[in-house]
Amino acid sequence: MSKPTLLLIDDEERILRSLRMLFFMSYNVRMTTDPYEAIRILREEKVHVVISDQRMPVMQGSELLRIARETSPASMRILLTGYSDLNASIASVNEGEVFRYLLKPWSVEDVKSVVAEAAAIAEASFAVQSVFAEHKAVENIRPRVLIMDHEEATVNTVREILGDRCELVWAHNAQLAMEELAKQDVSVVISDLMLGDTNVAYILKTIKQLNPQTQCIVVTSFNDTSRLIELINQAQISRYLPKPVSKNILARNLESMLERFHALRNQPAMQKRQTVAPISNHQERLQSGNFLGMINRLRARIAV
Amino acid sequence: MRNGNTPTKGIFAREILALVNPIEAVPPELTVAEVAELFLNPAYAKVLSLPVVESGRPIGVISRYRFMGMYLKQYARELHGKRAIRNYINEHPLLVELDQPLAEAALYVAQNMQFPLTEDFIITRRGKYLGIGFVMDLLKAMEARMRANTDELNNAYSRLKSSQLALVQSEKMASLGQMVAGVAHEINTPLGYVQNNVAIGQDLFMQVRVVIAGYEALVDNLLNGQASDDQIAEQIQQISEMRADFNAQEMLGEMQGLMTDSLYGIGQISELVMNLKNFSRMDAAASDTVNLNDCIESALNIGRNVLKNKVEVVKELADLPKFTCSPSQLNQVFLNLFTNAAQAMEETGRLHIRTWHADEALHISVADNGKGISPENLTRIFDPFFTTKPVGEGTGLGLAISQQIIQQHGGEIQVESRIGEGTTFHIRLPVAAVERQEPLAMTV
Repeated sequence: MSKPTLLLIDDEERILRSLRMLFFMSYNVRMTTDPYEAIRILREEKVHVVISDQRMPVMQGSELLRIARETSPASMRILLTGYSDLNASIASVNEGEVFRYLLKPWSVEDVKSVVAEAAAIAEASFAVQSVFAEHKAVENIRPRVLIMDHEEATVNTVREILGDRCELVWAHNAQLAMEELAKQDVSVVISDLMLGDTNVAYILKTIKQLNPQTQCIVVTSFNDTSRLIELINQAQISRYLPKPVSKNILARNLESMLERFHALRNQPAMQKRQTVAPISNHQERLQSGNFLGMINRLRARIAV
Repeated sequence: MRNGNTPTKGIFAREILALVNPIEAVPPELTVAEVAELFLNPAYAKVLSLPVVESGRPIGVISRYRFMGMYLKQYARELHGKRAIRNYINEHPLLVELDQPLAEAALYVAQNMQFPLTEDFIITRRGKYLGIGFVMDLLKAMEARMRANTDELNNAYSRLKSSQLALVQSEKMASLGQMVAGVAHEINTPLGYVQNNVAIGQDLFMQVRVVIAGYEALVDNLLNGQASDDQIAEQIQQISEMRADFNAQEMLGEMQGLMTDSLYGIGQISELVMNLKNFSRMDAAASDTVNLNDCIESALNIGRNVLKNKVEVVKELADLPKFTCSPSQLNQVFLNLFTNAAQAMEETGRLHIRTWHADEALHISVADNGKGISPENLTRIFDPFFTTKPVGEGTGLGLAISQQIIQQHGGEIQVESRIGEGTTFHIRLPVAAVERQEPLAMTV
């Protein structure tokens, strides 16, 4: 089997040379300092993994990855940046839909394993011929949308958008949210980061383990870049929308996430594209473990 | 002032209450002669006038002065002595309500009292007679109040001064923080590849050791002649397999390139650290003799993070004489102007920095082609706390502090701007050694 292809983009050539040395044994490494050249390569060649810098003179990495998403949807996208600014990380979720947001300087082992994982997922994606092409095959299940927010305004907005096309569930605290997630599969979660005094990141980071198809939209006024980067890597949230969010923007994103949920149901092979990284925070790991334990006990009881 | 410290009604009442002398009121039926007797009472020695009160309400006052006027006339005692005092009183006495503010009472009394001072004022509670007050006491109370106010003002002033210091410090920390964050990010890129290269090098080193060990074992066996041909053939086979997997020469060649890159990266990191050090000059004297062009370069280096990929910098730096100043402060001014300029540009733009020496002064002009400043904002940009940035993004002190620094150097900073065309700052610093009246401690 031929080596998977890795495309590296960075305006610093030394980064490219260094990464090539790391990967050339196991991958076919393509590299360039020019994002337009990268787009050409994506159009003409089969690229498994794209690793891009964020800050470049002619184009931001998140923009390049957005184009990569359209040009080569099966390729896995990774951002590797030395600048952890909020706008870049928001754009990398909402536009770039990155698999991982990695920081410079990186750990060699981490980068290697992330790239290996991404390459395998991309290979599987290429195997499933047309990515996201068959989602028109509508299935008649009524989507279930969980809103984790202490503000009722968010619930009302979502209700206005969806009417009764979906089953709406509102959880205004962490306990309720966990119960609702345990009860039944959820198609889309719309969540703030804080429910009252509780940081619910651990719930968001556990969602993909409950159901890899569930799509997560974070709507929050909470602005912390490192938290967001964690949510990208460890929760694979699909959207990050700063509060207050306009009804139109929320509607647009909600529709596309419902669509993606259906697409994933029809194409389970694509679920792996949103594989999450292990939870890094010790406390959250414990909370997530407890949550999963609770769900397993609950499901066991139902099964009996 | 009253808004800043609004006393309650209780306090007013207490202020006036302290002035009350509970002198027994004179009924209006009392005769002139009887009232005259009262004035001779030693207990009333200080009293200028006696209050005349009818059913609790003051209807007037009768003063010693009035008696003097009357009794100086012949037969006055006989003519008036038996008549009721009611007919002789001043029916418009000075009236002060108990819960009136002291200042208001003092103002009223001062405006309405007669010269020479012949009457005391009457204090009432809801219109009922309470006692009389001496004008002198009122004035003394007022003076005490003024003194308290002055003390309060002095305290407020010193509090303000220290909070200004704190703010200046926080602005400095904010810009320092921004700068450090910028440089830290800047360091991440070289750090990224240097670290990666070292890790690769370490890995390679291990592999090369294995290869060399293989060669050495073969050479040893060949030299001591004890190994069988089969053993040697096997060793050769192993080595050639190793060579097929791992091209040591090529890898080492690649690694050599990465080593060169790493040295370059370490150079970059050192340069960034040195820039930081030069910029803050924490380890240098507060005042030093420097070339201003170096300060500008230093600020540009530090601001690179903000300017990179956005701002084309055009420098026209003339030869400048050495200048004695506080370099870290001037660096702060320049960085502030450069980052402001970058923020004034929508997408990209040009920053034109010029220095020249004329009229015994150094001149620095910093011009951008950003969005410009509106005339109403232009008059306020040096005002402390004036900012057009969203809350939390600017302290509004950057230019105010810059101006202060330039003024402390005996210079001046001016601004011109046109909407849509850009903004130019012009700094003039006199070369003649500036004797500073005030130490620069404030912003250091």
